[in-house]
Amino acid sequence: MINTNQQSSSAWLGNLARAVRFETMHWVIIGLIFAVFALGSFGSERFATLTNIFNVQDQLVALAIIALAQTLVILSGGIDLSFAGLLGLLCVFFAGFNAQDGETLALAFAATLALGAFLGAINGAITAFIGVHPFIVTLGTSTILTGLALLHSSQPGGSVALFFEDVAYARLGGVPYGFIFVVLLYIFTAFMLWRSNFGIRLYAIGNNEAAAKVSGVPVKQTKVLVYMLSGLLASLAAIYMVGRFGVGDPRAGVGFDLRSITPVIVGGTLLAGGFGGVLGTALAVILLSLLANALNLMNVSSFYQWIIEGVIIICAVSVLVGRSKK
Amino acid sequence: MKALLNNSLLPMMRTQTVAGSQRRELILLSLFLVLIWGVTAMLSPRFLSIDNLTDILVQAAPLGFVVLGQMLVIVVRGLDLSVASIMATAAVLSIGANDSTISIVLLALAVGAIVGGVNGYLVAYRGVTPFLATLATMIVLQGIRFAYTKGAPGGSLPETFRWMATGSIGGIPVSLIVLAVVAVGIYWLLMRTKFGYQLRLFGDNPQSAYMTGAPVRKIQVIVFVLSGVLAALAGLFLVGYVGIVDNWTGQGYELDSIAAAVIGGAALRGGKGSVAGVLLATLILVSLFNIVVILGLSVEFQLVIKGLLIVLAAAVYLSKSRD
Repeated sequence: MINTNQQSSSAWLGNLARAVRFETMHWVIIGLIFAVFALGSFGSERFATLTNIFNVQDQLVALAIIALAQTLVILSGGIDLSFAGLLGLLCVFFAGFNAQDGETLALAFAATLALGAFLGAINGAITAFIGVHPFIVTLGTSTILTGLALLHSSQPGGSVALFFEDVAYARLGGVPYGFIFVVLLYIFTAFMLWRSNFGIRLYAIGNNEAAAKVSGVPVKQTKVLVYMLSGLLASLAAIYMVGRFGVGDPRAGVGFDLRSITPVIVGGTLLAGGFGGVLGTALAVILLSLLANALNLMNVSSFYQWIIEGVIIICAVSVLVGRSKK
Repeated sequence: MKALLNNSLLPMMRTQTVAGSQRRELILLSLFLVLIWGVTAMLSPRFLSIDNLTDILVQAAPLGFVVLGQMLVIVVRGLDLSVASIMATAAVLSIGANDSTISIVLLALAVGAIVGGVNGYLVAYRGVTPFLATLATMIVLQGIRFAYTKGAPGGSLPETFRWMATGSIGGIPVSLIVLAVVAVGIYWLLMRTKFGYQLRLFGDNPQSAYMTGAPVRKIQVIVFVLSGVLAALAGLFLVGYVGIVDNWTGQGYELDSIAAAVIGGAALRGGKGSVAGVLLATLILVSLFNIVVILGLSVEFQLVIKGLLIVLAAAVYLSKSRD
């Protein structure tokens, strides 16, 4: 407890290799996924059907994108609590274009992505250049953005072209487009973390910021970039949500601030930064979504689902703590 | 041995300079409060009436209890996200279980102490990050509360609570008297006792607190228990003020209390916190809400102002601590 940072500063290259490798934690989650499968099939005959699995894939898209953003930020040693306000604002902003033709839709797309990246960059700039703790920065910006979203429109409003809604609901041989997109996004991000300078720097900063700085990593720029990416991913999630709901809801992001952290931690990424990766997050998102779906089909009330979710977090973290003590 | 001595002396010496910067912070916060009150009074004469100012203070009391606990947790490098959930759970369980005022209070405080104890155990003995430990207990409590009430809280609220939260003795609101007693107690504990010294030392430098033989784990557990108990107390006062027992009592208090603690000068990296500072910050946050209502602005403006204030305050303190 006294000395929690037991990894030596030079070990980050090793961590990088571990980031894309299968960890004990990953096998534990896969085991749990099988357990949930057994539980679900036993508890409801509707669970283990292809229709239901495709439904689960539909339901996890937004959470998966936000959890991916949170993974990147946490890997760099930060945290992003701004999603609650950010998603709401981006949703009403995108839907506010009332895009009915391809041209307006393209404009709305570009503007929303730019706004998300810009707001993320502000988080990053305040964190990196003024040095305020990201917890406080993103908490503050989340409050501001919630206010702005509600000032923009207090009720769900706006609209989007029907053909875009069709895309959000479309399926390729049963598999939702949204899910395919998420899989590609995860693969791309994994490659970026593995191969690009940015990925290497991210782990280096998360592991030991001072050491990274000494070895010539542009710490501040990298931090701004990671929060910018987080905002960009939030834009994608917001656009998807508008596509699904058909309107922009200023409260679309409520709860996503803390909900986005759970899969990252259950997936084995350390909150202190520098260790973990997208594979764990992907598995954890699948586990949590399947579990919620199975419990829903078994008519377990959401009250007990909360208790189970909390216990899972404690168990997952205890396993991790046990491992890091070795 | 020499290094050990240096290590343990360092925070003491730093406390001296910290005292100076804390005085400046208090002056800054007071000036800011006077500024926003003054501007509002000019725009709306109704604001400076005794009734309205008393109302602000009474509204601020529940958040004040939570902030004091949160500040202690932040001083030992922690964070308590479960406070709002404790507020609601303690109130809902204790009021649902019986009708007598004394047993309601005792039961509520016991719930707060137990949950705080679990948080402290997970953090101090299991090495779980405070963020995650308290996030998990927050979610579990939410489930327990709703499972117990099946969505609709029952039980009747004794009149005593209404009186505790809104009544007054000799013109002074009861809730403020209780808050003052608690605040003085926390100040004494933090600044005048060996426990408080060890607590600050741990926040400043865990390694040297450990080396000087301070019971670091017990300290962490006690701090989380205190935070839980204060949150439970706040829950009862809030329920009394609103007049209704609700499953979402205190929603948003976890982040508001962290914001108030930070605006009031508590540093998230630990070791630093001031009772007067965090209470002033609480008053500022609650005043903002009142001001927005009095000036007839839409409530959303309050969020924007609050957010700007949080970021600004943190940025100001940071640049000062670099001097």
